[in-house]
Amino acid sequence: MNRASFSACVFLALLVVGGGIFGLTGTAASAPSPPSLDEQEARAILLEIDDLWRATSSQGTVRMEVKTANYTRTMRMEIWSKGKEKSLVRIISPLKEKDTASLKTGNTMYTYLPKTDRTIRLTSSMMMSSWMGSHFTNDDLVKESRLAEDYEPRISFKGKREGREVIEFTLLPRQDAAVVWGRIVMSVTAQGHLPLLATYYDEDNVLARTIYFSEVKNMGGRLLPALLKVVPTDKPGEYTELVYETMRFDLDLPESLFSLLELRRR
Amino acid sequence: MQLGTMAWRTLMRNKRRSVITAFSVGFGILLSVTFTASGDYAYTNMINTSAVMGLGHLSVEHPDYRDTPTLDKRLLEAEAVQQRALQTPGVTGALVRIMGQAMFAGGAKSVGGAFIAIDPAQETPAHNIFLRTLIEGQCFSSGEERGVVVGAKMAEKLNLRLGKKLIFTMTDKNGELVSELGRVSGIFRTGDDSVDGAVVLLPLGLVRKALGYEPMAASLVAIFLEDHRAAKTIQGKLVHLWAQSKEITVLTWQESQADLAGLIAVDRLFNYLLQFLVGLVIAAGIMNTLLMSVMERQREFGIMMALGMMPGQVVRLVLLESCWLALLGLALGVVITTPWFLYMARIGLDFSGQIGTDYSAGGVLVDPVMKFRLYRESAMWIAGAMFSLTIVAGIFPAFKAGRMTPVENLKQG
Amino acid sequence: MQIVSFALRNFNRARTRTWITVGAMAFACAIMIFYASLLEGWLAGMEKNAVGMDLGEFQIHGRGYRVDPDLYKIITDEEGMLAQLDGQGFVAAPRLYASGLAAAGNASSGIELRGVDLVREGLVTALNQHVWQGQWLAENDQAGVVVGRKLARILGLAVGDEVVVVAQAADGSTANELFRVRGILKSVSEGVDRSGFLMTAATFRRLMIVPQGVQQIVVKRRQASEDLTRATGRLARLLPCYEVRNWRQLQPVLARLFEMSDISLVIMLLITYAAVGILTLNALLMSVFERIPEFGVMKALGFSPWGLFAMIVVESMLQVTVAVFLALAVGLPLSLYFSHHPIDFSGFVQSSSTIAGIAFDAKWYCVVTVNSVVLPILFLYLVAGLAILYPALKAAMLKPLAAIYHR
Repeated sequence: MNRASFSACVFLALLVVGGGIFGLTGTAASAPSPPSLDEQEARAILLEIDDLWRATSSQGTVRMEVKTANYTRTMRMEIWSKGKEKSLVRIISPLKEKDTASLKTGNTMYTYLPKTDRTIRLTSSMMMSSWMGSHFTNDDLVKESRLAEDYEPRISFKGKREGREVIEFTLLPRQDAAVVWGRIVMSVTAQGHLPLLATYYDEDNVLARTIYFSEVKNMGGRLLPALLKVVPTDKPGEYTELVYETMRFDLDLPESLFSLLELRRR
Repeated sequence: MQLGTMAWRTLMRNKRRSVITAFSVGFGILLSVTFTASGDYAYTNMINTSAVMGLGHLSVEHPDYRDTPTLDKRLLEAEAVQQRALQTPGVTGALVRIMGQAMFAGGAKSVGGAFIAIDPAQETPAHNIFLRTLIEGQCFSSGEERGVVVGAKMAEKLNLRLGKKLIFTMTDKNGELVSELGRVSGIFRTGDDSVDGAVVLLPLGLVRKALGYEPMAASLVAIFLEDHRAAKTIQGKLVHLWAQSKEITVLTWQESQADLAGLIAVDRLFNYLLQFLVGLVIAAGIMNTLLMSVMERQREFGIMMALGMMPGQVVRLVLLESCWLALLGLALGVVITTPWFLYMARIGLDFSGQIGTDYSAGGVLVDPVMKFRLYRESAMWIAGAMFSLTIVAGIFPAFKAGRMTPVENLKQG
Repeated sequence: MQIVSFALRNFNRARTRTWITVGAMAFACAIMIFYASLLEGWLAGMEKNAVGMDLGEFQIHGRGYRVDPDLYKIITDEEGMLAQLDGQGFVAAPRLYASGLAAAGNASSGIELRGVDLVREGLVTALNQHVWQGQWLAENDQAGVVVGRKLARILGLAVGDEVVVVAQAADGSTANELFRVRGILKSVSEGVDRSGFLMTAATFRRLMIVPQGVQQIVVKRRQASEDLTRATGRLARLLPCYEVRNWRQLQPVLARLFEMSDISLVIMLLITYAAVGILTLNALLMSVFERIPEFGVMKALGFSPWGLFAMIVVESMLQVTVAVFLALAVGLPLSLYFSHHPIDFSGFVQSSSTIAGIAFDAKWYCVVTVNSVVLPILFLYLVAGLAILYPALKAAMLKPLAAIYHR
């Protein structure tokens, strides 16, 4: 359970929040200093990407494959999201964990365990525990929506790379942001602004993990990478892979779906 | 002739015996002082060490904080409490602190631990063991709103160095999770891995803000006393001050650290038991001497009684002898104990050589020097106990002397 | 032979004086035996208490477990290792560990799950005797758990209450199960009190999906007399692929405290010996010096100096011997009584006591060892021998007339 901690991650933007991949919209006001020109441009593009990915709500099914030195497991789950703040994940298979669900509203996360019929609220002692056995921690899920407040983006590269026009952003944590990373580097295609790669470096500038995006396809009327692979650097051979099977956007989801009562209902 | 003078003369008649007996009384004092003073020193040391680990000799806190120390339980007017406490005589320091559990992350690793949020402008190494044991850097200043001081073991686990980020996550007053960033300004090492791996000092202002506390609020005020034995008395005074408030309670170190109080109580009892046994031996020695002397002087008592001395006077004579013996013993005790005590109080015996090669493992928490410290009441107690012991030892021989009839006595010998 | 019969006769003659002397020495010696047994008991008890409750004398872990514990750093062949240890003069018990979360009502807290081998654990530690409320684990109650005292308070648990455990099982799945509190432990150690969550090994294996292997093996010497460091070396050689640590290495602060305590107690013992020595010295000096006039008469009657000297020595030794028998008759039963009926101080202590986070009982047993009996006796003879040397020599050397009028 003493898993490495990875905070603020793109995966959750996709999986849990659905829309708002980089979650960078409308929060620049909270930044202490007025953004530089460079930052403004970066923010503008990221906002555009965000718009593309953003939806008032979403629903989909995801397959998650986790490979670690000690186990390999595959899960299927259904995900819902509404706005930036609310998301729900419910496990479909394996049978043993069917209907286990995670509900996130704002900074609070609840886990429902059908076997014992209990709902458990996330506490600080569980923050760094792995989420569902994957390479993500609960902390990643909770902190994800703070990405914009915590980082200052700028464009660090524009041009051809491996035969593709790409834009590379470097996100540096704000002075006092409570994040462990030293920087996050993201690459998107210049055309269509589809994410390709996200790398996470620690404070000593050592690469800690990489997220690869691939298999772009049309889902719910949007072009999106359907495969996302997280590779921790310090654990060779391990990864967590997410395959988006179906996605739908801008649905009329009732608020009650994201309630504790609904969490327990099968 | 006065009985007292007579008793003194009797003692002086057999100087060697009297001196040897007085010496054993004196030796008893030496022994008792050794037992008690090493205990008094060790207990004072333990109590003070434990006080500087966070809670002080007295802690003023919310009544429910002790049982369930969650961060919603707080003193709203901690600063006012601090001011009042500082005005109380016998108080050498009062510090506003927030203490609680948190999750600490640095780089890609994390550990659970405990934090003590302090006001750097007020904390001194004298009242804070972690500031006393800094091995790198220094305590954050009042200007550094995000400085943190971590233990060496945690620094090792989280791969922290001076200036590095430490993210801490805790549950605020409303039960919400909050995270904040700190930067390592100092690293301490007490020598106890469980402390060095878990305790972090945080700036009070930052933690207050993070937890959503009111500007004067804190979880406790740690009060330090000149003398830890005054804890109960000063607690009484402070309780009186805040008698009308249901939100404030004052705990002595015995209450907040019942484990330590229990350990000391048990150790002290054992110490007393041993002293009692030794006291018995010494009393037996004194009784032996007096009994011998009485036996030997049966004839003498016979003559005295024949000359009109009442048996009660004989009893008193012998008791007075033991009284003189006790005084002589006390004087001798002071003479032989003083140099030993002074040596032990000033220099002490250093056992760091004897207790393993790696003394640092015990760190500051275990003092490798055996030293003396004697409370005034302990000294009085010892003197009183030795004196009474000698008198008590004289009772049996005295009655033995008084019970005999002149004729029996004269026949004997 | 004549000397002995003289000595015997003297012994009998001045009965009161002799018995006062013998009584004082016997008393001192008896107290000494009791005292020494009490000290032995205290020293052994502190260690036994602290080590035998939960820590164990030795702990064996897989490499790296202690620095960064996880479910997968296991001792794979625990059966083989246990058998091997049994054959090498050790008693061992396997333990399984994992971290997780316990929740009851609205409260939740991080816990350390522990799987206990009910048969073996009791051979190595006395944890099963430290249940405060309820009962210890039982093989036929797989849903029953035993929890630490502070944990129970944090979660508001009483015996019979339900508690949910959530943890990440070895296969990455979310283990969660409903348990029932079967027992709440007394204070054991800071760690166990705050987060100890004990279940049977079988339940642990099923819950955490750990079909084989254990995280820790806790070991005790079968012969407590074997030197700890030597035994540690022996274990380390026996198990080169694992980390072997003795309790002193595991709990250095505790070890330091005990060492300090040992040293100061030894100093106390020495001082007490000195007190007994003075008493003996005093008693014998008096009994010999007072009889110098008598010895003068004997000398005048033709006793040789050496004969007189020998007589005094034999007579004194005779007294000491009688005193020793008396001391044994009183001190030994006393010590033995308290070795079965401990002196219980727990009534004086508000709650349990802990040293460096390890709890111990406020009870003392005497431990009667060869040393605690023989050393006081030898010491008595030694002091007696020294004590009479001077007066006996003096009596032997004095001219008869001077001796007769000696005061």
